[in-house]
Amino acid sequence: MTLAIDQERQNPKRWRLPGGFRIKLFAYALVAPVIILILALVAYPFLFAIWVSFTDQVIGSVGQFVGFKNFEYLAGTATFWSAIWNTVTIVLVSDGLKLIIGLGLALLVHQKFPGRGIFRSFLMLPWAMPAFVAFLTWRVLYQPIGGGINLILTQTGIYPQVVDWLGQRSTAMGSVIVASVWRGFPFWFVSLLAALQSVPKELYEAAIVDGANVWQRFWSVTVPGILPVIIVTTLLSSIWTANGFEHVWLLTAGGPSDATMVFPVLAFFGMQTQRIGEAAAVSVYMLPVLAILVLFATSLMMRKED
Amino acid sequence: MTETSDTKNKSGWSRRRVLTTAASGLALAAASGFPMPAIAQTKKLTYWGGLIFSDDANKLLSDTITAWGAANGVETEVVMINQNETVQKVSAAVSSNTMPDALDVGLDLLLLLSRQGVFSTLDDLYKKIGDAQGGWFEGPDRASDTTAAAGGRTGIPFGVNGNLLLRRKDLLEPAGFTEAPKTWEELVTQAVAINKAPVSGLGLALSNVGDANVQVNVLQSYGGRIADDAGKKVTIKSEETRAYLTWLKDAWDKGLFAPGNTTWDGAGDNQAYLSGQVGFIANTGSVGIAAKKDDPELYDGSAFSPLPAGPKGTISPITPNLRAITKASAMQDEAKALIEHLSSPDFMNAYFNVAIYGPVLKNQQQLPAFDGSNPILTGLLGLAQAGTAPAYPDVYNSAWADFSSNFIVPKMCQRVVVDGWDFDKAMDEAQTQGQAIYDKY
Repeated sequence: MTLAIDQERQNPKRWRLPGGFRIKLFAYALVAPVIILILALVAYPFLFAIWVSFTDQVIGSVGQFVGFKNFEYLAGTATFWSAIWNTVTIVLVSDGLKLIIGLGLALLVHQKFPGRGIFRSFLMLPWAMPAFVAFLTWRVLYQPIGGGINLILTQTGIYPQVVDWLGQRSTAMGSVIVASVWRGFPFWFVSLLAALQSVPKELYEAAIVDGANVWQRFWSVTVPGILPVIIVTTLLSSIWTANGFEHVWLLTAGGPSDATMVFPVLAFFGMQTQRIGEAAAVSVYMLPVLAILVLFATSLMMRKED
Repeated sequence: MTETSDTKNKSGWSRRRVLTTAASGLALAAASGFPMPAIAQTKKLTYWGGLIFSDDANKLLSDTITAWGAANGVETEVVMINQNETVQKVSAAVSSNTMPDALDVGLDLLLLLSRQGVFSTLDDLYKKIGDAQGGWFEGPDRASDTTAAAGGRTGIPFGVNGNLLLRRKDLLEPAGFTEAPKTWEELVTQAVAINKAPVSGLGLALSNVGDANVQVNVLQSYGGRIADDAGKKVTIKSEETRAYLTWLKDAWDKGLFAPGNTTWDGAGDNQAYLSGQVGFIANTGSVGIAAKKDDPELYDGSAFSPLPAGPKGTISPITPNLRAITKASAMQDEAKALIEHLSSPDFMNAYFNVAIYGPVLKNQQQLPAFDGSNPILTGLLGLAQAGTAPAYPDVYNSAWADFSSNFIVPKMCQRVVVDGWDFDKAMDEAQTQGQAIYDKY
C-alpha cells in the first residue's frame, strides 16, 4: 500500500480535460480576442445607439428612458417626411443610373479595342478620388458665378441664363444625384465587368448557333449570367447611398429648404443641437430597412460563395 | 503514433495550466484597470484652447500657457481644439471622464454642461478680475451669468464676438452712399445701387447654417419675437414677422441676394465677399482679417459698421467666449491662477491684436489694440459697449438654443423665397416646429 502511494507520488497522474473538449477550448481561445473585439467595437456601439434613441440624453448627461418620445417628435416634423422621400428618391434614381452607366461601360470595356486597359483605369478615377475632394469639386462646378457648368452652358450658347443648380428646389436634387452617380458608378462598372468575364463563352457560341441576335444574347445569356452580381451590387450600393452623408452635406447641407434633406444629414443636425437621443432616433428609424438590405446582401453573397 | 499522442499530452491544456493562464489573465486585466500608484503619476494641467483661424492667436495662447507653467512650476499641456469640433470633443470627454482641467468654451455648451454640474463655480475669480480691471461690460456680464443654471458663474469671459456689417465702400461711394446704412430698408436701397453682375447687393446667408441666424436679428428688429416673455409659448406668427418677411421677399424679388445663398455652408458669405461677388455681408470680422492679409485692396475698399436697425431698433447680439474649469480637476487653484493670468492686460492686448474678439472688461477699451487704428476691433469695441444680450428681446434658454440650432427662421425664409410659400403658410410651419421644440423644455 505504502509502495503504491510512493509510486503514485513519484508519477502523479495529471488531470486532463477530455481530448475533444480540449481542442474545442483551444479553438475558442484562439477566436476569443476577435469575438471580444467585435462585441466591443460593433455590437456595443450598435446596441448603445439603439438604447440612446429611447432616452432624452444630451451632452453631459446619461439621459432618462423616454420610450418612443423621440420617434414621435421626429415623425411630427415635416423635415422628417422630406428626408424619407428624398432618401428613397436618391437611392432609387442614383442606383438606377449607376446600373445603366456601369453596365453600359462594362459591356463596352468587355469588348477588345486598342487602349482598353487605359480606358478601364480612367473609368476608375472617380472612385479613387476622396469623396470630400470629389464633392467639393462638384460644388465648385455647380457655382452660379464662375462655376464650370454654367460657363460651358453660357459660353457655348446652349443655355444663356446662369442657373443656381444647388440653390433651387427644381434642380438641387438632380444636381446631387448627378454628382453621386459620377462618384459611385465605377463600383458598378468593375463589379459588372467581373461578372461579364465569368459568363462562359460557350453559352454565347451556342446562342449564335441557335440564331440568336445581339439583343437576344444579351437578355438570354448575359443578364441571367450577371443577375446575382447585379442584385448584390444593388443591395450594397443602396445601403451605401442611403447611409451616404458627404454627397448631400458638401453640396447642399440638405437645402435649399428641405429639398435634399436625407437621413444622415438629419441625424447630423440632431447632433448639432446636442440632443444625442434624437440624433440616435433618426439613425434607428433607418435601421429596419437597412438591416433587411444587409441580410439580403449577406445571404446572397454567402450563397454565391457556396 | 504513441509518441505523437504523448507529445500532445505534454503540451496539452491541463487543469493547472488552464487555471494558471486564467489567473495570469485576471491579474493583467486588474493591473491595467486600476490606476497606477500616485507616486508614478505626474500632475499636469491640461488646457483645451479654442483653435481659431489665426495661427498667431493660437500660438500666442499656447506659448503663454506654457510659459506661465514654466514660471510657476506647473507642468502644462495645451491642446488646441477646432471650435467647430468642441461639442463633439467635449461630449466624448464628459462621457469618458477625460475632461481637461480648464478649457475655452462657447456660451451654449457652457450653459448645457453647467446644468450637468461639469464646471466649478468661479464667482470669486470673476469678481477679482472684474475689480482689477474696471468692471465687466454689461453685455458680457449679463450674457455669461450662469447663476440660475449652476448656482454661480461657471465661465470667465475673455472676448466677445458678434456680427458687424461689412460693406464695399469702393462701390457704394461712387454710387453716392458714403455712410453705412442705418436701417434694413436703407440697406436694400444701397444694395440695389451696386447690384450689377457679377456683384450681388446682399451676401446674407439664407441656408441651414449659423450665419443665416442673423435673420432672427432682422426679424426681432422688426418687432417679431420667437417666444413670449416666459420663454415658453412660441409667437413667431405675427404681423411683425409678416412685415419682416415682406422686407425679405422684396429684397429677394429685386434679385439682391447672391446666387447660391440658400445652400451656402458656413464659409459661403466669407468666400462670396472675398471673391468680390457681394456688396454687403454680416460677419464677425474674420472676413476683414482675411482680406487684410490676402487682398489689401479689398480691405481698403471695405468698411465696418453695426448691424442696421429695424422699426423697433437695432438687435445686435453679442456672443461671449469663456474659460471654464472642470469640477473634477485636481488642479483648481492652478487653473484659476492660469485663467487670471490669461486675463492680464498685457496678454489680452497682444491677443486682441491677432484674434477677432471684442473686449469684455471696461479697462480693456484703453488698450492699444482698441486705439481706433484697426476698424474691425473698433467695431467689436462698439459691439461690446452697445450690443444686445444673446436672444434679446427673447429669453435666452435651452429652448432658444435648440430653436437656433434647428435654423427654424432661415428655413421659414427658404419656404418663402425658394418654395414660394405664402407668408401665412411659412409662418405656420415655423410656429408649429418652434412650439414643438419649446414644448420639449
